[in-house]
Amino acid sequence: MSTLRIEVCLGTSCHLMGAQDIIDAIENLPPDKRSKIDLRGVTCLKTCRKGPNARVNGIILSEITPERILTVIEDNLA
Amino acid sequence: MQVSEVTKIRRKVLAEVSRMALEGDLVENIADILSTVVSEDGPRYRCCVHKERAVLKDRINMALSQPIGTPLTEAAGRALAGERADLPAVNLLPEACDRCPIDKFLVTDACRNCLAHNCIASCPKKAIMVVQNRAYIDKTACIECGMCKRSCAYGAIIEISRPCERACDLKAIVAGSDRRAVIDYDKCVQCGACKVACPFGAISERSDIVQLIQRIKAGHSVYALLAPAFIGQFGPKVRPEQIVGAIGRLGFHSVREVALGADAVALAEAGEFARAVPAEQPYLTTSCCPAFVAMVEKHLPDAGERVSTTVSPMVAAAKTVKEEDPSATVVFIGPCVAKKAEARRYPDLIDFVLTFEELAAMFVGAGLNVAEIEAGAHISVASRDGIGFARAGGVTQAVCDTVAKLAPGAELKPQRAEGLADCLDMLSKMQRGSLDANFLEAMACTGGCVGGPGTMADPRLTAKLLELYAAAAQVAAAPDNPAAKAENDLHRRKNSAG
Ligand code: SF4
Ligand code: SF4
Ligand code: FES
Repeated sequence: MSTLRIEVCLGTSCHLMGAQDIIDAIENLPPDKRSKIDLRGVTCLKTCRKGPNARVNGIILSEITPERILTVIEDNLA
Repeated sequence: MQVSEVTKIRRKVLAEVSRMALEGDLVENIADILSTVVSEDGPRYRCCVHKERAVLKDRINMALSQPIGTPLTEAAGRALAGERADLPAVNLLPEACDRCPIDKFLVTDACRNCLAHNCIASCPKKAIMVVQNRAYIDKTACIECGMCKRSCAYGAIIEISRPCERACDLKAIVAGSDRRAVIDYDKCVQCGACKVACPFGAISERSDIVQLIQRIKAGHSVYALLAPAFIGQFGPKVRPEQIVGAIGRLGFHSVREVALGADAVALAEAGEFARAVPAEQPYLTTSCCPAFVAMVEKHLPDAGERVSTTVSPMVAAAKTVKEEDPSATVVFIGPCVAKKAEARRYPDLIDFVLTFEELAAMFVGAGLNVAEIEAGAHISVASRDGIGFARAGGVTQAVCDTVAKLAPGAELKPQRAEGLADCLDMLSKMQRGSLDANFLEAMACTGGCVGGPGTMADPRLTAKLLELYAAAAQVAAAPDNPAAKAENDLHRRKNSAG
């Protein structure tokens, strides 16, 4: 079974805009879903002014919210 | 502790203001913030883009430490010239206040139009009647005494309060004649709890970042006094050395630990305790939390003499710096909004106060990414207990350890209070002598300083990381710390009002 790779930016700009909330949302997924996600922190995705940013399957998502990352996860795991 | 949309807007404004001040085009570009932060197609939090921009103007004035209503270019010019308006630390942005409903008592669907009608019977103003089979409160007659709520057997009448009012333990927020919230500064102690609570971001603290940036740019020796709660503020992966390194890159001359000031405070406070309790007074309270100290002054002045005369760790650390370098510009960096008010009492010692949030905004404005900073050397010279001041229970531990070492005969019976309601309650009990305690640790914020309104990390996480950081300290308690002893004697509190 393949896993979904999500890289969340932990740089200062993204941190200030709530990157930790994105990480918490993923960490708090039920175990069956959480286990399908390869979560990593990166230090900058070079899109600082549009944070918080995350890269899912190689695509950068900007100004994400916890709700949106969960939707993206649903869509990708379906 | 989720970062809300209003928090994001506030942070964006601070970061943009910092960036412009650093790049030197603040006056020319300040108005751009109105369109970059609230864009035409962005998400809407209020009725229209115009309303959002009106709010934003208030916010920018706050970020520049200028009175609300100052035209933006004028405000920017004044901030660049180093001017700071004489504003309280915590201010209400009138445009942003949504005038949340203040019909305090509300009859809900649970009302069964019972025969007892306790509500009607108990209302001293005859403001309750039955309309369409249900109790109805005549708002023009209601005096909001709450008798109806208390008397209803079904609990069908509920009390609603505004988030800001509810957050203020000292009842310093009232509804003004236009239903907007108003802060009563005779009662307010600038703790910042209301700022965190208002879902419209209508309460904000003033910020001196531009004035500080100008000072740095002018080549002054600017010292950072970093409060121990800084651990983990930039995310659990960022190391303390990286934060210290980044502060240096902003142009600060050096970074000092407030925790070392805390060591000196522990020594002074323990000494004071051993001398005065019980010989001169029945108990002693801490004095490190400025919101608590102000609370005593404004709400329970009779207990004033029980508050330790020791200065706060911020002031202790500042004294050391100013003695070493009288030309120093001293900047406290911490989790606290009330420190902004405390600093105004010590104009000769503290020049600026930044919250961690403001520091982060300055980093972003300067294009500094703490996560990518090469970690320099940062070795703490504070004791484990000094670092521990940042969390609830920390001061008690430090004072207990110090008393045990220096005055082993003294009997210390500690009591703790977190949150201003709790502080007021405990303090009144101690005043009445109804608590078996002779030392009160009083913190306005839940969790202690790590739970302050200027933080960016979950207080529970910060407390854990702090614990680890403290455990790595060279010495456990202040009396073992030669660096702290040297400073001890200077730290009597100035008895000025303000
Ligand atoms: S919570 Fe208070 S300050 Fe905020 S919008 Fe409501 S009434 Fe105004
Ligand atoms: S005391 Fe604290 S919560 Fe109350 S108005 Fe002042 S800053 Fe706000
Ligand atoms: S800090 Fe997140 S993209 Fe640069």
